[in-house]
Amino acid sequence: MRKARTLFEKIWSEHEIILSPQGETLLYVDFNLINEGQSFLAFDQLRLEGRQSRRPEQHLAVTDHYLPTINRNLGTAGMPNAEIRRVVEMLDENSRDFGLPHIGWFDSDQGIAHVIAPELGFAQPGMLITCNDSHTATNGACGALAAPIGGGNQLRHVIATQTVWLKKPKTMRISIDGRLPEAVTAKDVILSIIHQIGVGGATGYAVEYTGSAIQAMSMEGRLTICNMSIEAGARIGMVGPDDTTYQFLSKRRYAPVGEHWETAMAYWKGLPSDADTHFDRELQLDAARLAPMVTWGTSPEDSSPVDGIVPDPSRVGDQDRRRHIERALEYMKLVPATPLEQIKIDRVFIGSCTNSRIEDLRAAADVLRGRRVTVPGIVSPGSSAVKRQAEAEGLDRIFVDAGLEWRDSGCSMCNGSNGELVSPGERCASTTNRNYEGRQGRGALTHIMSPAMVAAAAVAGHLADVRRLK
Amino acid sequence: MQPFTVLTAVAAPLEFPNIDTGMILPGRYMRRHRRPGHDYGEAFLYDLRFDEGGKPRADFILNEPAYRDAKILATDRDFGCGSSREGAAFAVLDYGLRALVGPSFGEIFQVNCIQNGILAVSLGESVVHELWRQLRARPGVEITIDLPDKVVVAPDGKRHRFDISPLRKERLLRGVDDIDVTLEYLEKIERFEMARRTKQPWLPTAVRK
Repeated sequence: MRKARTLFEKIWSEHEIILSPQGETLLYVDFNLINEGQSFLAFDQLRLEGRQSRRPEQHLAVTDHYLPTINRNLGTAGMPNAEIRRVVEMLDENSRDFGLPHIGWFDSDQGIAHVIAPELGFAQPGMLITCNDSHTATNGACGALAAPIGGGNQLRHVIATQTVWLKKPKTMRISIDGRLPEAVTAKDVILSIIHQIGVGGATGYAVEYTGSAIQAMSMEGRLTICNMSIEAGARIGMVGPDDTTYQFLSKRRYAPVGEHWETAMAYWKGLPSDADTHFDRELQLDAARLAPMVTWGTSPEDSSPVDGIVPDPSRVGDQDRRRHIERALEYMKLVPATPLEQIKIDRVFIGSCTNSRIEDLRAAADVLRGRRVTVPGIVSPGSSAVKRQAEAEGLDRIFVDAGLEWRDSGCSMCNGSNGELVSPGERCASTTNRNYEGRQGRGALTHIMSPAMVAAAAVAGHLADVRRLK
Repeated sequence: MQPFTVLTAVAAPLEFPNIDTGMILPGRYMRRHRRPGHDYGEAFLYDLRFDEGGKPRADFILNEPAYRDAKILATDRDFGCGSSREGAAFAVLDYGLRALVGPSFGEIFQVNCIQNGILAVSLGESVVHELWRQLRARPGVEITIDLPDKVVVAPDGKRHRFDISPLRKERLLRGVDDIDVTLEYLEKIERFEMARRTKQPWLPTAVRK
């Protein structure tokens, strides 16, 4: 009998071409996504070397990080920063010069790479997908093995060879069983996981999320969870394909059709981890005990249920942890023992590859319907398709009537590559994935939470428990 | 990629610990194209080499005429630490350097150097300090780095052995980068690809629909 294998092991072995004596594997890349980031370094180097793309149609360049979410109709004139404009133009030129399909900024499919790849059906079960972006694991929610690569050498290698050298990670299963309480979302699940195991907790592992709470979760929720695998240290995060996956995929433009769909389904159904499979590491979470989470510090593990307080570093035994908290509170301008719900905010941001899908916007709009916000903020849908859908549902009106700005799609204020920044000293409630020092702008104070919790904070003017919002 | 075998060239002592990749390639250059005639040579250690007004700092070692043709830097500890920005190795290369000799290097930076044909050699701290002393005593003096024999020959003729993994050594000697190595398996990749596409014809391509 064949040895029981995990979803990860099945997909990994399907893509193995060569195993090097140094323990790295040459893997075949089914599909590669490219963003502006540092990708121009890869293209510049390929040009200097006189190399070309081996399989151009297995790549998709997506302009997402540097695009403004406002004044797009002005074209490049709407981009006052010449450097940012240049980065956008470079991806236009590079994808054209190397013959790579490109979703540029006036494309009706434009959006954040990790939102549109699942949305268009490029992310399918059993595939190996790479992207020069640390949040590539998002696509693993579709049952794919999706891994981040470096924007220079590694991307250049994938473009020139359609392969990547990777070291095989160990396997980790995170099981979330039970029913999530009211107002507890996928974002709260992944923040709770990171809080429990730390930002290095899954380093060196490919994580599979499983359990009844995951099975009951929508694709949007699964995408949010896989998205933040990297914040727990894991480069790969995935969910075994099931009926939710197939139903999601069946409506996608690039999903198989007809006879191919049947063959693909038969193959996909063999992918989930075998029943008695061994994982190198196991973690269990009880969904019923989870609560809406907010971060208070400068690392994604610095979080707490919203009814908690700012921690007191003097009561922390571990010296490194104590020093980190001291530094984090100094940067975040917070005083130990302050109830989290008393932390006043200056603005909100709803968007990013973590939480900008239609379900996220619906959750935020549900809170904002008939209410007014007390701080400014922007809402940036994850893709142009999400934007159209939201407008068809009237969500844009709810945001605008509540007092928020309804923007175009892009990475925007998640890291501010496009110049949309949180001002120094400003405190922002954000649906994004990283609360590092300076992540949303120099001196920006970021609190991460779910879309509904950001909406609640926008109404209250301080961090607030969406379940008790007046 | 240019092979690296035996290099005899002017070496400059850079006695400055913890030069991170952000100093080697300042962030503002990270949005800039790298093309022939418009490369990262200018960016290399820019803020150390030039003052706020863009004038060369006379007291900075690399601005001394004796080191104009330096191809080797004798660095201090942890050269290339910090962020993983790959452009830092390009800046070293574009400035015209072929080798670095120092007590320690940022790990990712060191790998990126080798990928670009730059040999970054670790020697003991006392050996490097002695090297600095000799280089300072005779500005513009040459040293030799012999990769096949794995030795650095100091100005006083003393030979200092260094370690390098056999794989990295071979890549540098042959002047092959990661793509060259992979493409040696091209036939195997093509066979694999053909079989995979035949077996799973539904796999998506980004051809407009």
